This record gives sequence, structure tokens and C-alpha cells, in this order.
Amino acid sequence: MTDIPVAGRRKFFDLARPSRQHLLGYILIAPAVLMVAAIIVWPLFVAVDLSFQQVKIPRLGAAGKPFSVANYRWLFSSQEFWLACWVTLKLVVVVTAGSVVVGLGTALLVNNRFRGRTVARLGMALPWAVPEIIAVVIFAWMFDSSFGLFGWLAVQLGLSGQMIPWVSNAGAAFWAVAITMIWKGFPFVSIMCLAGLQSIPADYYAAAKVDGAGVWQRFRWITMPLLMPVLGVTVVLTLLWVFRDFSIIKVLTGGGPLRSTQTLSIMTYDQAFQYHNFGRAAAVGVLTLIICVLASLLMLGRRSRSIY
Amino acid sequence: MANISIRNVSKSYGSLKVLQPFSLEIENGEFVVLVGPSGCGKSTMLKILAGLEPATEGQISIGGREVTDLAPGDRDIAMVFQNYALYPHLTVRQNIGFGLKMRGTAKAEIDRRVEDAARILEVTPYLDRKPKDLSGGQRQRVALGRAIVRQPQAFLMDEPLSNLDAKLRVHMRAEIGALHKRIGVTTVYVTHDQVEAMTMADRVVIMQDGVIQQIATPDELFNSPANLFVASFIGSPGMNFLNAELKGGRLTLFGREVALPAATAHDGRVVVGLRPEHLLLGEAPVTFSVRPTLVESLGSEKYVYFDAEGARLAEGDEGRSKGLIARVSHSGSLSKDEELVLGFDPERLYLFNAETGQRL
Amino acid sequence: MKRTLAQSLALYGVVILTVAMILFPVYWLVVTAVTTTDELYRLPPTFWPDNPQWDVFVRVWEAKPILKWLANSTLAAVGSVALSMLVSVSAGYALSRYSMKGGATMGLFVLTAKMLPATLLVIPLFSIFSGMGLIGSLWTLVLAHSTMIIPFATWMLKGYFDTIPRELEQAAMVDGCSPVGAMLRVVLPIATPGLAATALYAFVLSWADYAYARTFLVNSPDNWTANLGITTMQGEYVTYWNDIAAASVFVALPIIAIYLFLERYLVGGLTAGAEK
Repeated sequence: MTDIPVAGRRKFFDLARPSRQHLLGYILIAPAVLMVAAIIVWPLFVAVDLSFQQVKIPRLGAAGKPFSVANYRWLFSSQEFWLACWVTLKLVVVVTAGSVVVGLGTALLVNNRFRGRTVARLGMALPWAVPEIIAVVIFAWMFDSSFGLFGWLAVQLGLSGQMIPWVSNAGAAFWAVAITMIWKGFPFVSIMCLAGLQSIPADYYAAAKVDGAGVWQRFRWITMPLLMPVLGVTVVLTLLWVFRDFSIIKVLTGGGPLRSTQTLSIMTYDQAFQYHNFGRAAAVGVLTLIICVLASLLMLGRRSRSIY
Repeated sequence: MANISIRNVSKSYGSLKVLQPFSLEIENGEFVVLVGPSGCGKSTMLKILAGLEPATEGQISIGGREVTDLAPGDRDIAMVFQNYALYPHLTVRQNIGFGLKMRGTAKAEIDRRVEDAARILEVTPYLDRKPKDLSGGQRQRVALGRAIVRQPQAFLMDEPLSNLDAKLRVHMRAEIGALHKRIGVTTVYVTHDQVEAMTMADRVVIMQDGVIQQIATPDELFNSPANLFVASFIGSPGMNFLNAELKGGRLTLFGREVALPAATAHDGRVVVGLRPEHLLLGEAPVTFSVRPTLVESLGSEKYVYFDAEGARLAEGDEGRSKGLIARVSHSGSLSKDEELVLGFDPERLYLFNAETGQRL
Repeated sequence: MKRTLAQSLALYGVVILTVAMILFPVYWLVVTAVTTTDELYRLPPTFWPDNPQWDVFVRVWEAKPILKWLANSTLAAVGSVALSMLVSVSAGYALSRYSMKGGATMGLFVLTAKMLPATLLVIPLFSIFSGMGLIGSLWTLVLAHSTMIIPFATWMLKGYFDTIPRELEQAAMVDGCSPVGAMLRVVLPIATPGLAATALYAFVLSWADYAYARTFLVNSPDNWTANLGITTMQGEYVTYWNDIAAASVFVALPIIAIYLFLERYLVGGLTAGAEK
């Protein structure tokens, strides 16, 4: 019986034994579970806890205020909340639709073979790489009430009699935010759709052409159905991004004028850091999260696993 | 002594039992093949042997040493995988020498042994290339090199030829056979291909649904199958099966009454098996005429397809739905629609219990 | 099928027009930066200034601590990416290789984490960090950004590890490696492209944050990140658009550069995780 040299495994707790192999899984995932528990799960619980307290500015370790649903009662009866819901809904629909149209359109465009295709592809998705704050700087200037490019264009094209006070006109402000967000949001859709388009086997199109299908028919019966899964996930992710966004709206319009661009996300933040009412802020935030979760589960249904 | 002893090894995933208690004694230097359809548990058994999966019950010894809960690296075995599992980021030389390096072997020794192994498997020109630059056959030879270089007590091979094209498969089969003759290491080989089992094995273990059906040499399997499954699995084209009623040592087949040579006490419904190669054209103890539905010509051999009363069609096997097959030697032309006289010797019949499938 | 000349011209035309429209704002940023304030406050807007002030970049660089802002953003990003990757690589690997009780719960958590608005999490984190006296320190960002990066990176890495066949680790174990050894010596070297792509994307994610930076660092100008710094240049009444545009160019350049040179990795990582 020869003595077999053991390869440097001095662990007395040998994970390579068949009976112990599965333990490694738990060991490897432990750090992540701990971190997530510490920085996400626990704070979430703290947030929910805050939402049930009538607390202005909480102090960690200090005794909590008594349990109360006052924040939620205030929330549901406040006009500000329902306005924020409405604004959020409007923005989500407009920006998602706009991003999908532009994103899918550019993806279809770049899916063709032509010289300079790589440059075009890089160029079209470049807005993704521009930090949101910078995008706001650009668009804020272009939307400037006195000297902004967009105002001047509107006058030139006869869409308006005079320079548009984007930031002080409720309707105009909404569109300023929406346009900025679409510019930032569509590249993601474009990149995902392009990948999706390129994964459709060329054979399908060849078979369709042999069957006599024209361009529009091929698009409708082959491209769209096969692109649906990718598109579906992308739409939901874009939707969630609009829900969550803070940078663009806060810096461009601050949520105004007259709360015409105040989404639930902005309202959550302002309640905490402008009105210094953490309890109410937490309530709005928790509710926003619940709406998000419900909305995406609804949209994806049983396919929610595809997001992860 | 590198014998392998498997005692009552079974495997369950929760309530799902994928491997029924499995016992087998493998002699030093034996080439044992585990064969069976997908999901029969052969790969699971191999992984348990390798230490890549824990057995739910049972013990395993290699070379007299109890290895049941020993790490794969401590069992002194080498393994060849279906997808070769060559390390893509290492050169062929580093791939082959990896196991030796892990064991702290001296560099000079590693180099020597790697060169030897490469020479035996004729991969010396590729030593400094990466796996992605090699063809399937070359990769498989490198995988074999990685296995032999460590001079282990046993080789475990998991369907190593399944990813190769037909011609290469035949060639590599012979190479593995030659390698085994040369090096003589105990080998456990898993495959779903009965041809590989029949041509390469000293002994074959046929499995189905986690249960061992029979352990025997290839010839024994062919001539004395233990049950219906083994009889149908071994041999190509597969055995013909017919339902019949046994009464007093006689039964009716193809419309003829046949007296069985050996006295069988069993009366009642049976399944009769007859290999296509045992159906002859012309003179035989029992003859009958048929009108073939299809004749496939292979030159000097013909496959004659025909229907008969009581014919049992194998489940889920498309070829069999064409009917019963006779494999006859005939160089001329045979057309279907022309009546043929086929014959057989009742000595060649196999009888199986209609309920259990066991051979009578 | 070759295109006709008309079709080609149409395609090129549409492409050029589309790219031009999309990139126009970036062009406008540079134009705004080099235009004098007088020319800016004029209609119609000039598409190229009569007197381009290229020294605006030097001026702004010296007037504002842009380098410090960029350094802070980088520090926060490197810190959060390093911390997150450490945790996510092992978690992603575990999820890929081992079926564990609670695997579904992990998935649900990843899902929720993607929907978690920063504006919600910032509230409890603020009160927690205040209690710990961390407000004003870049460590708040390291932790806060990790809340965004870990779920995303774990998901992306799991998808990537799924593409590496398990037989490689099995072969390594038979060759004498421990399971950890197999992971370190065999799987991780092979997974390097995926790791790089994930780390890069995480870097961009961290750099893009504004909500956490603003909340935790607003009173500590020394620790301002780039995004935060830029917003402070927006005056209450008057904004020097050329200055802020020039500063913006500095801030946008790193990420745009990363995008242009490493787009292959970034997009590959994004889409590989998405396409199951």
C-alpha cells in the first residue's frame, strides 16, 4: 500500500471530501449575505420602522417613537402624494415609450451592415456614458428660458410665439425632464435590442424570404416575437429606472414648478431632507417600493425570473 | 493491487432514488464498462467512484484502501471527461502536468513524465499550444495524457468518445483499447453506446433506471441475456420480440407450431425473442413464408422487414415500428412484395416471462 | 442582395442624421464651454463662437478643485467596487455551482434590490451613518454604492460563471485541487473577462451616483465627488454656463473614455448576463 502524497491540503476540515463539498457553497455566500443584511436588509427594516413613527429626525439608538399609522394616513389623504403618483405615471409612460421607440429604432438601424457601422454604433449609444448630472447641465442650458437653444428652435419653427420659460412653466418643465431622460435612457434599450437582434439566427429570415415574406412581414412575424423577451426585460428595467431616478429631476427642475415634475422618488427625498420629516419620507418611500415591485411583477408575471 | 470494490452503494436526492444498491468487484487491470440509456445512473456511479458526489449509502475501496469519503484528489485515480475538460488558459504541457504540479512533484520529474505521456499519445507536437488550437480528437488524446501521466491506480472515463464524429470514434476506441493493453490500468468506462461496451470491455454492467440489469462478459450478454431489457439493448439490429402462448412445451409462432427443445415448466403468456441474424433464408427446422414490407440492402447482407402476428414493437423505438427484422446473407437482389421463405432453429429462441421480463 | 444606390444613400443619410442628432448635445457642451459669456447671452445662439476661449479649461481647472472632485469620485468608486467584487465573486460562484436552500430567496432579493430607489435607502442610511458619525466621510459612499453594486454584480457574475463548464473544476479536483483551489486556479483565471466587465460596469455605476453623495457629503467640500461638485456650480441666480460646461467636460471625459475604449467589455457583460 503506497503512501499517496496529499497535495498541500493542511485543512483539518477538508472541504474536498464528498460529504463536505456542499458546505463550500454556504461558506462562499456568507460574506454577501452578511453584507446585504447589514447594508440593505437592516436599513430597509429601519425605513419601514421609521414609516410607522411620527418622527422628524431620528437618532440611532434613541428610543423610538410609538407605533402609529399617521404617516400613511397623511400620505393617502395628501394631494401632494396623489399628484406625485400621477406625475410618476406620466413620466414613466412617456420616457419608457420614448426610450423604446428611439432605442429600438437605432438598434434596427445599426443592425444593418455598412461602412463605419462600429463608429455609428458607438456614437448612438454614447449618451449612456455621459453622467446624468452632465446631461442635466447640457439640457438645462439648452432649455434655458432666455437663451436656450430649444426655446429659440421652438420660436423659429413657429411652435411658440416667444421663448419658453421651461423651468417656470409646469407643462414645459415636464417635457424638459422627459426629453432629457429619454436622451439618457434610450441607449440602454438600443444596446440590449441590438444584442437581441443579433442573436436571431439568420436562417429564420432566410426561411421567411423563401416563404415569400416581405420586409414588414418579416419584422412583424420573426423579429418582434423573437425580440419580445429581451424587449420585455428592457422595458421593465427602464421603467424601474424612471421610477427611481433622482439626479436628473432634482437638478433640472427640483421637482417644480408647482410640483409638476415631482415624482414619488423626489417626494420621498424632499420629505426627509427638505421638510425634515423622516417618518413621512419613509412612508412615501416604502409605498413607492411596493408599487415598483407590484408593477414589475404584474408586467413580467411568471417570467419575473428573467430579470435575474 | 488496484482492484476496486463497490459495496451496496446507492444514491438518493431527497426522496428520489437515482441509484439502487450497487455492488461490484473489479479486478486489477480489468476494463469494466457501465452501459445503459440516459438517466440509468451510470454517470452518477462514476462520479461517486471519483469522489465528485457523495454516496448516500455504501462503501468503496480502491486498491484495498477505503476511499468512500476521501477527496477526489486523494483517491489516486484519473478521470477523462466527455467534454475533455482541458484547462483553456494553460498549454497542453501545463494541462498534462497539472496534477503532478498539484502534488508537489519536482519540475524535472514533471517534464520527464509529461514528455513520456505525450509521446505515448502522439501529442508531442502540440505541447506548447493551447487547447483551443486543437481538434476534438487531439484534445481527447491530451485528456488521456493528463490521465496516464499520474500513473494512477484506476482510470475513470465518462463517455469520452461521445463528442467525436463516427469515424474518429472508431479510431479512438481502438486507441483506448491499445492503451489499456499497454498500460494495463484498471478502468471503469461509462457509455450509452452498446457497441463500445461490446468491443472494449472485459466485463459489462448494464443498467436501467438505477438498477443493475446484468453483469457479464460481452459474449455472455449476447448469448445469455438475463432479461428483456438486456436482450433488446445488446445487438444491432435489436432482437425481435413476439408475444406467444406457451402450452405444454409448445407455442405458435408465425403460424407454425413450434416444439421447444428444453422442457419449460412455465405455461401461459410469454415473450419470445429471436435475433435477426438467426432468421435464415430457405432451409431450417421451422420455416414460414412472409411478404416483406421493406428490404434494405447492404451489399452482401439484407435487412428484411416484415410483419407477423403477435409481434411486439419496442416502445419508443422508431426503427422497430417498421416491424420485425431478418438479417440474411444474400448477394443477389431481393424485392419486397415477393414472397420469401424464412426459417429459424427453435434452439435459438429466447423465452421471457411476460410480466417480469426475466428470462426463463 | 446588394442595395441599390438610392437605398444606400438613404441608409447612410438616416444614420448620419440620427448620430448627429444624438451626439449634438455633447457637441453643444463643448461649444458652450468655449463661448464667451457675452456671446452666450445672445439670441440666436451661435453654433460656433466667433472667439473660442480654449483657455476656459485651464481657468476652470484652476478655479475649481476639479482634480479633487475627480479623485474623490475615483476613490469612492475603487473602494465600493473592490468591496463589492470581493463579496459578489464568491456569492456569484456559489450561486452558480451549488444549489442551496434559499436560492429562490436570493433571486427574489436581487429582484427587489434592482427596484430599490436610492431615495428610499438614503433615509435609513442617513440616520445610521449619523449615529455612527460617518457623515461627511467617503466611507459612506463606499458602503452606499455597494448597496447598488452587490446585487447587480452577483447576478451578472452568476450568469457568467454559468457559462463555464463544471467539469473543469471536477477535473481540477481529480488532479488534486481542493474545491477552493479549483475555483482560484482554474475558474477565476478563465473568468477574467467577465470579472473585468462586471468591475468596469460597477465602476461606472458608482461614478454616476448623485443622491448619496449629495446627502452624505454636502457639508464636506473636501470630499465632494465630481457630480456633487458640478451641481454646486449652478448658481442661485446666475450660472456661468461656460464655466460649468468646461467643468462638465472634465467630469464627463473619464466615463466617456472608458466607454469608447472598453465598450466591448461593458456591453458584453451587460448582454451576456441578460441573454439566458
